[in-house]
Amino acid sequence: MAILRSRVLWIGAAVVVIAALLPFWLSAYLLGVLTAAYYFGVFAMAWDLLFGFAGEVNFGPTFLIGLGAYTAAILNSEFGLPIPVCVVAGAIAAVLGGILLAVPALRLRGPYFGLVTLVAVLLLQNFIVIFAGVTGGEIGMTVPDVLSIDEKVNYWYALVFLTICAVLLYGLSRSTVGLILQASGQDAVEASALGFNVTKHKIAAFCISALFSGTAGAMLIFYMGTASINTVIDLAIAVQIIIAAVLGGRRTILGAALGAVFLIVANEFLRPLGQLNTFVVSAVALAVILFFPEGLLGYALHRGERE
Amino acid sequence: MPIQTEARRGLLAGAVCAVGLLPFSAFAQSGDTIKIGVIGEESAVAGASITKAAVMAADEINANGGVNGRKIEIITYDNHSSAADAVRAFQRAVSQDKVVAVIGSYISEVVLAIEPWSARLHMPFITPGAASNLISKAVHDDYDHYKYTFHGWLTSAFIAQAVCDYTKDEFVGLRHMTTAVVMSEDAAWTKPLDEAYLECLPKIGLKVLDHIRFNPDTSDFTPIFHQIEDAHPDVIVTGISHVGVQPTVQWHDQQVPIPMIGQSSQATTSTFWKDTNGASEGVITDTAAAPGVALTPTTVPFVTEYEKKFGVTPSYTGYATFDMVHVIAEAIERAGGATDPDKLVTALEATDHLGTMGRIQFYGRDNQFTHAMKYGPGLVTTIAIQWQDGKQICVWPHDKANGEITFPSFIKLHASAN
Amino acid sequence: MRAVQILVDGFAISSLYGLAAVGFTLIFGVSGVLNLAHGGIMVVAALVGWAAAAEFGFGTYAGTGLGILAGLATAYATYLIVVRPIQRSRAIRPEETEIFVLTGTLLWGIMIQVGMAYLFSDNPVTIRPLVAGVVNILGVRTPANEILIAVIAWSLIGLLWLLVNRTRTGKALLGASMNPRGVTLLGYELTRIYFVAWTIYGLLAGIAGVLLASFLGVSTANTGQLTASAFSIVVLGGLGSVSGSLIAAYVVGYLETMTAYLVAPTLRPIPSLILLVLVIYVRPQGLLGRR
Repeated sequence: MAILRSRVLWIGAAVVVIAALLPFWLSAYLLGVLTAAYYFGVFAMAWDLLFGFAGEVNFGPTFLIGLGAYTAAILNSEFGLPIPVCVVAGAIAAVLGGILLAVPALRLRGPYFGLVTLVAVLLLQNFIVIFAGVTGGEIGMTVPDVLSIDEKVNYWYALVFLTICAVLLYGLSRSTVGLILQASGQDAVEASALGFNVTKHKIAAFCISALFSGTAGAMLIFYMGTASINTVIDLAIAVQIIIAAVLGGRRTILGAALGAVFLIVANEFLRPLGQLNTFVVSAVALAVILFFPEGLLGYALHRGERE
Repeated sequence: MPIQTEARRGLLAGAVCAVGLLPFSAFAQSGDTIKIGVIGEESAVAGASITKAAVMAADEINANGGVNGRKIEIITYDNHSSAADAVRAFQRAVSQDKVVAVIGSYISEVVLAIEPWSARLHMPFITPGAASNLISKAVHDDYDHYKYTFHGWLTSAFIAQAVCDYTKDEFVGLRHMTTAVVMSEDAAWTKPLDEAYLECLPKIGLKVLDHIRFNPDTSDFTPIFHQIEDAHPDVIVTGISHVGVQPTVQWHDQQVPIPMIGQSSQATTSTFWKDTNGASEGVITDTAAAPGVALTPTTVPFVTEYEKKFGVTPSYTGYATFDMVHVIAEAIERAGGATDPDKLVTALEATDHLGTMGRIQFYGRDNQFTHAMKYGPGLVTTIAIQWQDGKQICVWPHDKANGEITFPSFIKLHASAN
Repeated sequence: MRAVQILVDGFAISSLYGLAAVGFTLIFGVSGVLNLAHGGIMVVAALVGWAAAAEFGFGTYAGTGLGILAGLATAYATYLIVVRPIQRSRAIRPEETEIFVLTGTLLWGIMIQVGMAYLFSDNPVTIRPLVAGVVNILGVRTPANEILIAVIAWSLIGLLWLLVNRTRTGKALLGASMNPRGVTLLGYELTRIYFVAWTIYGLLAGIAGVLLASFLGVSTANTGQLTASAFSIVVLGGLGSVSGSLIAAYVVGYLETMTAYLVAPTLRPIPSLILLVLVIYVRPQGLLGRR
């Protein structure tokens, strides 16, 4: 156990240091892509915590992300509140939304749970479209404040944010609480037989996932300067998050972050294809699901174990 | 052993990534071309003309010697009708592709999202099709920051004015109509448009009986048409851009007996006739120009060339983009070849270009719509066209008209008399 | 006057909703699959139908037929390329199969949407009405096509009912939805039953797609909304219950129509969404749900 942890620590630290040095070498545009990818990484890690550990497939991570993002955006745009206040408000909104969603949803089994999370996303989407006067509807809204105009500064903000979240989420997953969650997720009956309050822990997982998702969503808005349905709410985004986590390997937390970066960078490389890049990415993801359901990192880890 | 294999694999992966990222390194090469970024909505009917017309304009300018001997290079981006994608494309154009100016988007929400970035990054930015008043108002209210944005199409206030002008001539004057209903999509560009409609329609003698704003997501317009019909207006004045095919087809299928006029962006291109299976017969809309209408000496050659190359006629954004590329080229020449943003802005403000849409000039700081395109006789007035038998027939202004207004059989004029 | 308008308008749209929802719930009932590519199938049918009729000049009737066939082909593709391989995959744990199928169909749906948008752009297309002209129903001027749509929808539902209750294949379908093992013991091959189920589904979704194109118009941008609408109705009515889906379709259709007429067109989707939320909180299995 101890050896494992330190190996991850060393590799992780090396990765972060290399990443921090990239701005001195990469172009501003690619820095921007990586910045967005890092926030995406937080989305994916938060999702993995919920799915990998609580065993709940959340089809609507974008419900939580969207709540955080739009709350922050509207507060900044309509009331001119400073960025940190808006981000905190966004996080709170997401957590509240998470509780609101979790309480009825966790009473359901099987496909119903996934459906409810999907419905939550649709509700939020419709809500935003209907109140287009305030939210900008389908096309999106602008926020007057941004984190920074300098791509390097934005990049470091995102990297630091990702690192903190990764440490927290990974630490959580390996802690006692994380183990209980994992037990609840794999076999709820046994876990409750052992005396753990499964529902309470699952709701806690929801709230934690919501907290990270909402905060990351709000930060993303202040990076881009715009909020729109197809960047933080659309089902396509939810699917990308799920793909990222599955691609990276479920239940590894860090794999999700890797998967997210890989996905976003891959999307960029496929940009010359124009509209078809979504098609190609989805097709690849489908292929991964069909042939490598353990995900790339999961695969690597298991092969490593067998060697 | 496992640690070594993993470490090796990791290093290899890292090396591959590093090599792959080389093209994106900060050491980008610079050529001797003048790069102009063009952001369009490729999968939208009105937006697809933007990139095509830009490339055509660049080819023409280059064939005539370029700008001070330097060629123009158009770099295109598709924003998928999304503000966020458009902002990213704009950022990419500025920092990665090193453009000197950006032409982009016909969607007001998208343009309003890009505008602050044009201010932050000091990049001249012209929209060839969006209409919201806010675009030029922002320039007026905070000139020093927002002066880089120019509005290469009529602002909503003037579009409404154009619609009122032709309605006055054709419908109030000739056909003695007295009442109207305003029907528009709930979007950023129609807020000022509707305000202007509600102001100018009564002035020309049309009483506005009802004002309907519908969700751009709407697919079933039956309740809306029923509501309009119940009010018995003589004419429906529209403000639609995000939708077009569905309301038009349903208007036709339900045989709503009231004429539809106003601004329908999608109806400005020939694909519209096919998409609606001919249901657009009789629809009247405001547009920049049309095939066969010689607004200026360059109008007809442009349309003919465009149709030859792409198989469809340009939407109104096509005319505007074509003209704006020329405007930028001329501004660079006027600035003595300089592409410095501030010098370019000063040069752009002095624009006086005879394009395909008319004579193009921009309002100055003294006007509330700073950097908007000037509207009026002798400048740009747009024209009104009516779809007849698969063709766009110009019905206003009279000196450019090549046909008379006729309506399909299910239209009953003077519904208010019923 | 307004009441008659609401009655007539609501009927056609509800019938279409019902047709689409019935197929969706059938597939869930029989093979346990929540096909999130549902909207994609309808959109393919609509776009191919339009292309065949208008672009390639086959005319309205042939075009419609080709569109329906395209929908059917897409349904088969969904089953053979996505659903069945995942269900049969040994690399996936049995309790996770459903989730993977859901994700797989979601991805497939996105692929369809993007692929179609690339080929056809996202502009709505319409198919010329199968019958032209308007008819006067109690003072309400209604396109004849709308009436035809309602008639077709109900004929198909009637045919389906006959199939399920009167034919051996249909009864096998019903049995498979309740107890797949039991049905095999009776000598039926599950593969054949699934094939029949997907055929029926493909036809229903394909027909719904082309009818929608001739009634209101369809674009690739509608893909997600169509899937969402179908499963909202199905959740309301109860997953797996055909009659539940039909009732729910009319409830939603009329709620929407009444809102559009009596309140404001902008607020159209809200009441049904609120109803959906209430149902999920209060009675998650839907009105007549079984599973």
